[in-house]
Amino acid sequence: MNVIEIDHLSKYYGKARGIIDVSFTVKEGEIYGFIGPNGAGKSTTIRTLLALIYPSSGNARIFGKDCIKEGPNIRSDIGYLPSEVFYYDNMKVIDLLKYSASFYKNIDQNRIYELADIMDLDLKRKIEDLSYGNKKKVGIVQGLLHRPRLIILDEPTSGLDPLMQQKFFDLITAENEHGATILFSSHILSEVQKLCSRVAIIKEGRIMSIEDIKTLRSNNYKKFKIDMDETVSDDYFNIDGVANLYADQNSFSFLFKGDINKMIDIIHSKKINNLIVEEPALEEIFMHYYEKEA
Amino acid sequence: MNILIRELQANLKSLTIWSTGMIFLIYAGMIKYSGFAGAGESVNELFNQFPSAVKSILGLGNLDISSIAGFYAVFYLYFMLLAGLHAVMLGAEIISKEEHDKTADFLFVKPVLRSKIVTYKLTAVLFNILVLNLTTLIASLVFVDMFNTGKAIDNIIFQLMLALFIIQLIFAAMGAGIAAVTKNIKKATSLSAAILMTAFIISVAIDLYKKIDFLTYVTPFKYFPAADIVMTSSYKTSSLIISFILITFFTFITYLFMDKRDIQI
Repeated sequence: MNVIEIDHLSKYYGKARGIIDVSFTVKEGEIYGFIGPNGAGKSTTIRTLLALIYPSSGNARIFGKDCIKEGPNIRSDIGYLPSEVFYYDNMKVIDLLKYSASFYKNIDQNRIYELADIMDLDLKRKIEDLSYGNKKKVGIVQGLLHRPRLIILDEPTSGLDPLMQQKFFDLITAENEHGATILFSSHILSEVQKLCSRVAIIKEGRIMSIEDIKTLRSNNYKKFKIDMDETVSDDYFNIDGVANLYADQNSFSFLFKGDINKMIDIIHSKKINNLIVEEPALEEIFMHYYEKEA
Repeated sequence: MNILIRELQANLKSLTIWSTGMIFLIYAGMIKYSGFAGAGESVNELFNQFPSAVKSILGLGNLDISSIAGFYAVFYLYFMLLAGLHAVMLGAEIISKEEHDKTADFLFVKPVLRSKIVTYKLTAVLFNILVLNLTTLIASLVFVDMFNTGKAIDNIIFQLMLALFIIQLIFAAMGAGIAAVTKNIKKATSLSAAILMTAFIISVAIDLYKKIDFLTYVTPFKYFPAADIVMTSSYKTSSLIISFILITFFTFITYLFMDKRDIQI
């Protein structure tokens, strides 16, 4: 069964582009990644699903029901964590969470304490005194406390330290094992890769492609930056699997996909000053990815 | 119900401040009156020497302010201004604040119809303006009684307060309607207050230039003139009809536009 079905959804703000002709489906029990650079239309899509904004054309269905017409009905089974979290400043955390809980039927109040405990959240503090990361935790607890069947996460990890990110991922994975479907929006490819089974890639308001995560992983690029201690020719590193190669005197940068040992051998045979190997930014992957397809 | 309780709690502090301000205004006014009452006719003579523009702005008109009814009626202008400002700002703020404070992504994703949220919010507004009205009423009855040496004017006070409540309803609905319609939500409250001040200035201008008295219907401050109520003890039917139309229209607009609105943060 499909939990989310988005069908040719477009949204314009006046003449400005929001999203254009977005279509994808999320199956029940799936953790679905939704990736793209900032401003690509991820939040616009999500906010349409939640009926915060109205589509210019096309439609979207959640649990088989129209997300605008049957919005209130559907939303009792959705948990949403917005990309930027804002709550009523003068409320205490516990009061806000109880207020949030009061909108749903059959709430287990213990769940609030359970989740707060996992996320290490102090319930007695006022919202206005919380750091951004702590507000994000409030967002996570308020999004999960009613055990929603669909969890929509918009850039959930920003503001969380690595330890909390891990706890959060564990929490999401556990919810998923209990049967929740998850739509996970992010601009960080690596965290999407870790969790998701499939991803939709959005750029400038349009879905560029929908990929199985295994396919993306086989396109697992690493970004290399190397400062050489001796002079080598500009295409010294230009072996099979190298892309976006830039050479500036003795500094090189490129993306590499393939057997990492081959690259290490090439580097090892010369003297180097500095070496950085990192995950490429999504933009860089995109650039290469679509150059290839074009 | 939870939204209503939340809104009442959120506005409690501001309601307390407005009510205290109102009580203070009435008390200070009545202390002034006790000074005037002692001076008798000479007060009227003094004010009659003021240019008519000054008298209009002070709301004096042709009222005998050495009588308690006349003095209280002059004061009524300030009640309208204060209670109107409270109502219009509260109406605008309660509708716009979720987007303004960016809490919209919390409230509007809950399993509730938007119209229901609006209903709870407007109910909270109704409660707030009613409390301010009752505060004004009770403070008036108490302080007028404290300084009144002539016959009681309780009936006039009741009638003026009912008219005040209608004015409050108009401005509250207007504020909410403006907030629902405005694209730039940050400006909703200041825009509403500006419209109220414009209506007030028009009402003063009408007193100055009788030629523009066709504008009487434009400004709610002119719907229930205190002097009329003091003298005739009744409301103009046309004013009641216009008030009813305005309140209904702005309430309808609020529901209509909130339902269709793209919630932006």
